[in-house]
Amino acid sequence: MANERISAWLNRVLPGLLLIFLPFLHSYTPRVWADGRIVKVGVYENAPKVFTDQSGRPAGIFIDVIEHIAEREGWNLQYIPGSWGEGLDRLANQEIDLMPDVAHTAGRETMYSFHKVPVLSSWFQVYARQGSGIRSILDLDGQRVVVLERSVQQDAFAKIADSFGLSISLISAPDYGKIFAMVAKGEADAAITNRFYGLMHAKKAGLEDTAVIFNPSDLFFAGPKNQSGQLLAAIDAHLVNLKSDAQSVYYESLKRWTSEQVRLKLPSWLLGIGLATGLILFMSVMGSVILKRQVNARTRDLSKRNKQLAIIDRTLRATTTELDLQAILQRALRGALALTKLEGGALCLLDRDSKRLVPGTSVTASGPIPVSSSSSTRIGECLCAAAVLGGKPCIHWDGAPAGMTVPLIQGNEEMRFHAAFPLQVRNEVIGVMCVYSCTDERPSELKLKLVQDICGPVALAIENARLYEQVLHHSEQLEQRVTERTEELAVAMERAQEADQLKSAFLATMSHELRTPLNSIIGFTGIMLQGLTGPLNEEQLKQMSMVQSSARHLLALINDVLDISKIEAGQLELASASFDLRSSLEKTVKLVAPQAAKKGIELKLHIAPDVSTVCADQRRLEQVFLNLLNNAVKFTEKGHVHIHCDGEMDHYIVAVSDTGIGIKQEQLSGLFQPFHQIDTGLARKHEGSGLGLSICKKLMDMMNGSISVTSEWGSGSTFTIRFPRNQEACSETKTSDH
Amino acid sequence: MKQRLLIIEDNEQNFYMMRFLLEKSGFEVIGAGDGKEGIEKALDTNPQAILLDIQLPEMDGYAVAAELTKHDELNGVPIIAVTSYAMVGDRERVLAAGATGYIEKPIDPETFVAEIVRYLPASQTDPEG
Repeated sequence: MANERISAWLNRVLPGLLLIFLPFLHSYTPRVWADGRIVKVGVYENAPKVFTDQSGRPAGIFIDVIEHIAEREGWNLQYIPGSWGEGLDRLANQEIDLMPDVAHTAGRETMYSFHKVPVLSSWFQVYARQGSGIRSILDLDGQRVVVLERSVQQDAFAKIADSFGLSISLISAPDYGKIFAMVAKGEADAAITNRFYGLMHAKKAGLEDTAVIFNPSDLFFAGPKNQSGQLLAAIDAHLVNLKSDAQSVYYESLKRWTSEQVRLKLPSWLLGIGLATGLILFMSVMGSVILKRQVNARTRDLSKRNKQLAIIDRTLRATTTELDLQAILQRALRGALALTKLEGGALCLLDRDSKRLVPGTSVTASGPIPVSSSSSTRIGECLCAAAVLGGKPCIHWDGAPAGMTVPLIQGNEEMRFHAAFPLQVRNEVIGVMCVYSCTDERPSELKLKLVQDICGPVALAIENARLYEQVLHHSEQLEQRVTERTEELAVAMERAQEADQLKSAFLATMSHELRTPLNSIIGFTGIMLQGLTGPLNEEQLKQMSMVQSSARHLLALINDVLDISKIEAGQLELASASFDLRSSLEKTVKLVAPQAAKKGIELKLHIAPDVSTVCADQRRLEQVFLNLLNNAVKFTEKGHVHIHCDGEMDHYIVAVSDTGIGIKQEQLSGLFQPFHQIDTGLARKHEGSGLGLSICKKLMDMMNGSISVTSEWGSGSTFTIRFPRNQEACSETKTSDH
Repeated sequence: MKQRLLIIEDNEQNFYMMRFLLEKSGFEVIGAGDGKEGIEKALDTNPQAILLDIQLPEMDGYAVAAELTKHDELNGVPIIAVTSYAMVGDRERVLAAGATGYIEKPIDPETFVAEIVRYLPASQTDPEG
C-alpha cells in the first residue's frame, strides 16, 4: 500500500519537475562539428542493443543511435568488435572512444566518463527452461545460475541472493548467447540477462521469463575517463531531440529491435517519466510480492513445523498412554512415517537370547503387511544391525550395501534409502525402528532427527507395556493358583468334615457298644456280691470284688477317653443349671470318704457361709471335684485331705490340699497335658488313665474358670479351681470351643 | 396284687438283670424287645410304670416316649428312661419327649430298685401291697 501511494505521488510530481528542467537541458545542446573525426566504437554481442548482424555489420539500438548522431556530427565511425570484457579493457586503454550499452555505476564512474541522458533503461530478469516452476527468487535456492562475466548483474545478483540467504552457485559466461545455450542444455538452471536480450531471444532458445526482476539501470555510451567530454555532450544533445520526437530514428529502432509498439505518441521526457514511474511502481509491487512470498514461505515453514510437532505429540501421547504392545508399535511406526513422509518402515524388537530381530510391525507402500516372529533375522543380516550394535542411527542414502538384505520389503522393489534408529532404554538397545524408500524420495536430516527424538519415549513405552504384560501374566498365574488352592482346600475341608462325622459316629457307637457289656459285668457282679443269687464263700467274694473293681476302672477309662475326644472335637456340650454348691460338694466328698477312711486319712470340708447356688453343668463340675478328691486320696498315705470353698466377688474358689507325695517343680508344667501321669516308682501303684487333670483343665476352661496347682515335693499339693457363679445366665448352654 | 412293670429293652442281658432285680423285689415284669412291641404291651397290660431304653432299633426311645404320652389311658403312668451316661443332653431330651424320670446306665444293683420305687405313685410304694 505504501509503495502504491509513493508511486502515485511520483506520477503526479515528476512530470512537473522535468518541465522545469527541460529548458536547461536544451541550452547544453552542442554545436555540430564538421571535422570528420574518427570515432572508434566497441561492439559486442548483446542483441538487440548491440550486436553483429548476419552480414557481419554492427547493428542494434545503440548502433542505430550512434550512426544517426555520427551522420549529423560528421563522425567517421570505426567499429571494434570483441567481447564485453575486451570492450571494457579497450575503453580503459583508450583504444576505443565509445563503448555502448554501459550501465552507470559508482565504480565505473571512476574509470569511465558517461553522458547524461540514458539511451535505454533496462533491468535484469531471470530466464529459465519452460515449466521450470521458478516463480520467485526463493525458488532459485540451490540452483545454478549463469551470468555474463564481469557484468553489473553478476555483483548485483550475488548481493540479492546473499540478502535472501540463498545458496546459489553463480556461473559466468562470456556472452548472452552462451548463457541461454547453457540453460537450454541443462548445464545451468537459470540465466540472467537484460530485458532486451531476453525479450528477443528467450523464446527462440526455448526459455521463458520469470518474475524475478532486479536492478533497473540506465544504459549509456561510455568514453575513456576525462578524454571524451565533447563527444558525450554531443550524444546527450541528440538524445534529447531523438527522445522528444516519436517519429525519430530512436523510436523506430526500438520498435524494430524489440517488436514493441510504441503506442503513445508522448514526448520522450513524459515517456521517460512514465517509464521511470512504471518501473518504480513495478519495483514496489515486485518488492511487496517478494515480501509476501517470503512471508508465505515462512508461514508454510511454520505450519510444516507445527504439523511435525503435532505428529510427534500425537505419537508420544498415544504410545505412552497405551499398554498394548502391538498398538504402541503400530502408532510409533505410523508417527515416524508421517514425520518423514515415507511409505515404508518397520519396527523390530531384539530378542537378547537368540540375538535376532523379531519384526513387530511393518508397513509398505501398499499398506501394513502381516509379520510373524518366525520371519526374524539374525543381527548382521539386515540393514538395522548397525543401529542395534552401535546404538546410533544408521542411515543409507543410496540404497543397501552389497550383501545386505531388507527382509521386509516385498516384491521386486529396490530399496533406495534406509534409516534405522535404535530403541534404547537405559543405554540398552531393545529394538530398532526403520524407515525406507523405494523411490527418489529423501527425508530431510531435520525430519530424521525428529524421528530419532521420538525413539526414546517410544522405547520406554514398549518397556512399560512389556512390564505390564509380565505383571498381568503373574497376577493371572497367582489367581489361578489361588483358585486351585481354594478348590483343594474345599476338597480337604469336605474330607475333614466327612472324617469328623465318621469320628462322631464312631464315638457314639463306641460309647454305647463298650458300655453295654460293661453294664452287664458290673451289674451281675454287683448282684452276686449283694448275695441276691445266694451266699458266696470268702474266696468267691474276693474274686468277684476284683472283677467289679476292674470293670469299674475300665468304665472310668472309657469315659475319660470319650470325654477328651469329645472335648477336642468340640462336641462336648455343657449344660447350665442352677444348683446348690454346698450340697454338691458334700455329696462328692461322701463318695471318697470310704476310701479315705480305709487309708486312715482325715477328710475335712470347709465351706464359707456366703457359698450358695451356682449356675453350671453340675455333673461336669462334680466330675472335676471328684477327680481332684480321688487324686488327693490316692496320692496321700497319711495325714489329711482338706477341701476349702470360698466365694470371691462373682467367683467361687475350691481348693483341695493334701499331705501326700507332692509334685516335683519341673513336672508341674506338664501336669494338665493329656495322658500325663507322673512317671515315678510310686506312680505305678496308682491306677488312672492320665487324662483326669487334662479333662479337669478343659472343663474349667469351658466354664470360663481356671485350675492351678502348688506343690512341694514330699510334703503335699494344693489344687485350686476357680469358676464363675454365673447366676444371671442360667438358661444358656455352652459349646466347647477347642 | 403285684405291681406290674413294663421294660422296653432290646439288650437281653440288661433286660434279664433288671427283671432279676425287680422280680426279687416282688414286681411283675413284662418285657418288650422294641418300641413298637413296647407301645402295644403298654396299652394291653396296663403297667404301673414303664422302663424305657433309649437306644432301640428302628423306633428310638424318644419316639416311643412321645407316642406313649399321646394315649390318655397311660396318663399318670411314669415312664422311666434308662440310658447311657455318655450321651450328653439325653436327660433333657428324654424328659422333653415325655419321660417322667431318668436312670443312668450302668445300673447299680444296690440302688436300682429303690430308684424305680421313687417314681411310683406313693400309695403303691409297697410292691407286695
